[in-house]
Amino acid sequence: MATATEWAVELKDVRKTYRTGPIEVPALRGVSLQIAAGEFTAAAGPSGSGKTTLLNIIGGLDRADKGEVWVAGQNLQLLSSGELALLRLQRIGFVFQTYNLLPVLTALENAEFTLLLQGMPVHQRRERVEKLFSEIGLAGLENRRPAELSGGQQQRVAVARAMVTEPALILADEPTANLDSASAIALLDVMEHLNRETGTTFIFSTHDPQVMERAHRLIRLRDGEITRDDTRSSRGTVMTVNGDAA
Amino acid sequence: MRSILLLAKISWRNLWRNPRGTALTALALGLGLALLLISLGLLDGGHEQTIADGVRFGPGHVVIEAKGYQASSSDELLLPAEVVSKMQEFFQTPKMKNIVQGVSPRLLGTGLLSSSANSSGVRITGVIAQNERAVSLIPQRMVEGTYLTESSPASSVVIGADLAHKLEVKIGSRVVLMTQSLRSPGSDAKDADGNAMQSTLLRVSGIFRTGLQAVDANIINLPLPAAQALLGVKDGQVTQVALLLRQEGESPMVAKALRQDLAGEPVEVLTWRESIPMLAQILGLDHAFNYIMNAVVLAMVGLGILNTILMRVLERRYEFGVCKALGLMPRQLAVMVVGESLALTAISLTLGLVFGLSVEHYFATAGLDLRWIFKAGLPPALVFDPILYSRLSPNRIAWSVGIVFAMATVISFYPALKAARTELPDSLKVL
Repeated sequence: MATATEWAVELKDVRKTYRTGPIEVPALRGVSLQIAAGEFTAAAGPSGSGKTTLLNIIGGLDRADKGEVWVAGQNLQLLSSGELALLRLQRIGFVFQTYNLLPVLTALENAEFTLLLQGMPVHQRRERVEKLFSEIGLAGLENRRPAELSGGQQQRVAVARAMVTEPALILADEPTANLDSASAIALLDVMEHLNRETGTTFIFSTHDPQVMERAHRLIRLRDGEITRDDTRSSRGTVMTVNGDAA
Repeated sequence: MRSILLLAKISWRNLWRNPRGTALTALALGLGLALLLISLGLLDGGHEQTIADGVRFGPGHVVIEAKGYQASSSDELLLPAEVVSKMQEFFQTPKMKNIVQGVSPRLLGTGLLSSSANSSGVRITGVIAQNERAVSLIPQRMVEGTYLTESSPASSVVIGADLAHKLEVKIGSRVVLMTQSLRSPGSDAKDADGNAMQSTLLRVSGIFRTGLQAVDANIINLPLPAAQALLGVKDGQVTQVALLLRQEGESPMVAKALRQDLAGEPVEVLTWRESIPMLAQILGLDHAFNYIMNAVVLAMVGLGILNTILMRVLERRYEFGVCKALGLMPRQLAVMVVGESLALTAISLTLGLVFGLSVEHYFATAGLDLRWIFKAGLPPALVFDPILYSRLSPNRIAWSVGIVFAMATVISFYPALKAARTELPDSLKVL
């Protein structure tokens, strides 16, 4: 078992409520969670269960109302917005449901966007991006703009953009939601391969059974609470850590 | 530095996501600058022309008169002969020779000019022909006969076309000029009251037409010695010394130098702004009106740019949110938006400069012919050539470009701030 400082992600009694005028919608109700470095984890649940909020809070895109959020050894609740931006730039990669590539940049420029922000010299950037592109089947598509790529290809570029900085953690919000089955399987292959090769921690939000099946750990959420937390051993057996029996 | 290059690249490419919108906005801003350049060129050209004509039909860029003359307009206030001599020495210095184009001593008086057909009150201007040619525009506006020369007989007189028409005279006609001797300390008193009616027979040697009714119907030029004799003024005494400078802008400096040189003398040195205050006021008013019009045009163009950039920012809120999620700092987002606006401004300024300077060049060489507006003739008080020539100095161009650039930059701050303040989760939940 990892110690507190070794967790890639640790949440302690995290609560988040969205307010629209007089209406309060609790999104997370006291979520506590530890994710070790190198885990390939999926957060699943119906719409409104709190998956995206969980990822937003772990990624520093939103702040919890209460509780502690530790990522890469830092308590996000204590960081300024500038420090959070720096953490996202250097330690966290994002893969969005709708790809969110910058339409005015080519696939290569999109992938190296964060490296450019980090100030990496051009030859190092190109070397790293080209290596990654060839690993995930994007070789030859470097100079295409997003509009000239299929959904699957765009999502792989998004994965490359997330991976290229060699972050400690990759957060993917329903990454296969807009892909056909074949593209979804190809993408999962790519992400699992990268997880295995680099030891990067992956956390997905999903309601795609294929993703749930491939996840090494499956956290189920309902109404802002974790209802089940299953870990799949390498041999395929499921151990329930939290919640009802598998 | 690398990130700045990336942001510049994104800004530039963003500009062309909507080429038609970009082109229209660039055209609007470019047209704003072009209008500014053209109107300033015509304004400055018109003013330059008006001042040049105004001072050359009047007392020059700088005028030296006896103390109190400007306030009283009393022709009896004359410049002492020694002061005039002192001035002549001053104008011989190398510095002044380069600045001063012409110096014309004038003796002014009033009289009654009569022909066999009619008579009319006139403003007598006694001049040294050669000097007056270097200062006044009248010698250049002769329509009949010739202007005075050094060898012109003392009885020669040059009159305006309106006056000639009224008196029904032509070249060679004889006219009688009746006047009263001046009572200045140096003049010859003719009777106990110092008043004496003098009359002399003159012959019309030239007729001019300036287009200015006040000049064409009233002014007569005759040789200075003849005028001095007629008005009972000793040699060397004059009413004023009019200076024409090569550059209007030198007027204050020359006036200041003259005031220092003539300190202690009973004289006043005036620039054209002081000697023809109404002209200065009219030009000032025209400037102010033009600035207001330009400000209105620029404000309208500015609002157009603000609208365009703001719409572009609002349309891309989600994209900005993604950039922020990926680690782009708010200030970098702001730089990106300002960069986009500056790129748009640079294109607009190029278009505006090319178009504006082309039109300005045409008006500077061919002129803008306003004669169709003044078919019935120029109003009596109007002192300008109806063909307007544009004059645009490099300073004016730099000022115009600077003001448009500054306006566009300032305007881009609000959309930039809006982009920088994009809320992360909200923007990511838009779709």
